[in-house]
Amino acid sequence: MTRTRKPGVSRRATLAMMGAGAVTFATPWVARAQAKTIKIGMPTILSGRVAQLGTSSRNGVMLEVEKVNAAGGLAGRQIEMVIRDSKGQPQEAARVARELVNTDGCELLFDGEASSGSFAVHEVARDLGVLCIHTCSEASSLTADPKQHIPNAFRSVRQGIHDSIVGGSYAAAISKAKGLKKWATCSPDYAYGRDTTGEFTLYLKRFAPDVEIISESWPKLFQPDYTEVVTKILQAKPQALYSCLWGGDLTSYIDQANIYAMFSAMEVFAVNMADYTALTVVKNLPKGIHSGNRYIKTYPATAENAAWGDAYKAKYNEYPTNWSWQNATAVMLLSEAVKKANSTDGKKIADALRGLTIKCPFGADGTVTMRAEDQTLVGYAIGWGTTIPQEPYVPEVKAGDWKTIFELEAEWKKSKGYT
Amino acid sequence: MTELQAGQAAAVPRIETQSQRTRYRDLLIALAAFVVLASLPMFFGSKALLDFVIRCSAFGLFATSLNLLVGYTGMISFGHGMFFGLGAYGFGLIMQRTGVPVPVAFVATLVITTVVATAIGAICVRLKEIYFAFVTLAFQMLIHSTILSWASLTGGDQGLRGGIKRPVFLGIDLSNHVHLYITSCALLVIGLLLMRQIAQSPFGYTLRMIRDNANRASFIGIDVWRAKLTIFVLAALFASTGGIIMALFVSGAYPEFAYWTISGEGIFINMLGGVTTFLGPMVGTVLLLTLNDTVTRLTEYYGIVLGIVILFFAVGLRKGLMDFVVEWFAQRRDGAGERAP
Repeated sequence: MTRTRKPGVSRRATLAMMGAGAVTFATPWVARAQAKTIKIGMPTILSGRVAQLGTSSRNGVMLEVEKVNAAGGLAGRQIEMVIRDSKGQPQEAARVARELVNTDGCELLFDGEASSGSFAVHEVARDLGVLCIHTCSEASSLTADPKQHIPNAFRSVRQGIHDSIVGGSYAAAISKAKGLKKWATCSPDYAYGRDTTGEFTLYLKRFAPDVEIISESWPKLFQPDYTEVVTKILQAKPQALYSCLWGGDLTSYIDQANIYAMFSAMEVFAVNMADYTALTVVKNLPKGIHSGNRYIKTYPATAENAAWGDAYKAKYNEYPTNWSWQNATAVMLLSEAVKKANSTDGKKIADALRGLTIKCPFGADGTVTMRAEDQTLVGYAIGWGTTIPQEPYVPEVKAGDWKTIFELEAEWKKSKGYT
Repeated sequence: MTELQAGQAAAVPRIETQSQRTRYRDLLIALAAFVVLASLPMFFGSKALLDFVIRCSAFGLFATSLNLLVGYTGMISFGHGMFFGLGAYGFGLIMQRTGVPVPVAFVATLVITTVVATAIGAICVRLKEIYFAFVTLAFQMLIHSTILSWASLTGGDQGLRGGIKRPVFLGIDLSNHVHLYITSCALLVIGLLLMRQIAQSPFGYTLRMIRDNANRASFIGIDVWRAKLTIFVLAALFASTGGIIMALFVSGAYPEFAYWTISGEGIFINMLGGVTTFLGPMVGTVLLLTLNDTVTRLTEYYGIVLGIVILFFAVGLRKGLMDFVVEWFAQRRDGAGERAP
């Protein structure tokens, strides 16, 4: 038997090290005095598979923040953004958000998190009472579910339910015109994929009752090989296919399905296609894929939107993403709300934000509104069109009708027990 | 198990008296540590420091419990994170759905963990080395997938939403930051003390023997399977407690808590801190979280910094920090390298 180590050494060493560690690392924790600048904290995903979400969100924010600062800032205070990586982990998102407020002295939060991370930051906002604008999460329940509702959290983002209503009615019209009765679906196997596909087919069947879903595929999120999914769909011989795959998943899927000439065999409806992240990456973009607009500088077809897209491209050498416009909108809303409230106090800004309508390049009619009842964005440009392989990629977009969206959204909320 | 322990106690009286001698000192150190931690809020106004200690409590309990398996028993579990997730989800769900008092939910979560860990452990601990590692990983992925697909109960990939309510019990209000902090510190100190008792007990020495030579242990009459299962379940309980603290901290539970990356972080903490000393994983936790917090504050290229640190420990030191420090002290004292058993 080896000799037992004499106890005491490890403890003394530990205590000494803990002491040294505490002294070294306590320094950044000493709270700093509030400066004349106003700090906005933003946890987002800057590393890993969806790092583009964070980088393009940051770009969108910074583009607008520079404009606001050049025009004198928020009620005379220059904005300083403090943007940190959460690595896509909810406990990190919560920690970073708390640190931004408690240590770095951020007075407002932009939540650039997706999915679970946004709910974690939402709880931080509930706990600390700090004004928070969600700028990336499209999960409808974040604002639709009254259990989630807090007076200090807003969302400047499109929503899954809006996309499904517009997509369903658009697809139904094409179905009727072309006689597409047999449908297949292929969406990523997680809450967003399941919910969005369910809602899309719900509204598709509502507007075109004779549609039938004959095949469903649920590839894993970030799956590298889609061969078995593609062959399964081809064997089922549907007339149309719906997919809410996105980003890298969508582009690999299209590249692989191209080999089997899938896009000439059926009409394809891919809600997340019309985003430059997907459009510019696909090797041979097939003509005629139906897609919802994510961000495209030709829709809304206004000079303001085109100018914004070009300015972004000039500054960052890439086109904006869907996340870019959503984050830019958050800054625009905030800036207008501060003007209206004439204060940078979180509570007063929140009061000003509720029901606020602002001029915005991404509005369906040139304006967007922060709806008062559930504190989420409405009136943004939403529509569907078909792709071509080169710019402008989606030459014509058929606009969604916000009146229909509001009606069906209210019905959907009731069916979910939210109202 | 009591018969077994009694038998061992007779066989190794030297260790027993030594452990009795150190028991009171451990208790005193634990008390002192708790008093120091609990008085921190009086001296420092920083909420981030309290957040840091709360997270250290959660990950420290988790990593130290993993060391009971890795360092003391030689069972490299790649799926220990499942119990962290189980604790977070169990506690969160009970609090959200039933509204029972916090201590009841706490105990109920531990009961659930015991049942699940016994079932999973009974299958896993029959296997050795890489097979054990991979089966635990497989069970972890099973639990993770269940959380993702059972969306009606768990909220799927969006996690438990709507916040965890914390009704006041015995004058403790866990929605108060300082109360939560003190409670986390208490759980950490009690947890570490209990784990220290386990490690220093005859049972703890049985585990070391199994690690060094399972055949010999079995030949002298130790039921190896039962001992391994017992420590597997005990370690799961402490990991689950870590998960409960994390659920209270973020006021929710997310599938990432049960993902393999959490287990990986646990292994990494053990590598950083060292597995041959009891406090190694705790030191590793403080190191990793400090590293994480300072590096993310400075750069978004967190991965590359962490990678370099891993390389430094794996290739440069070839051991955890505490192992290194202890060896260095021992060498300085008696001129010859002595290692902990």
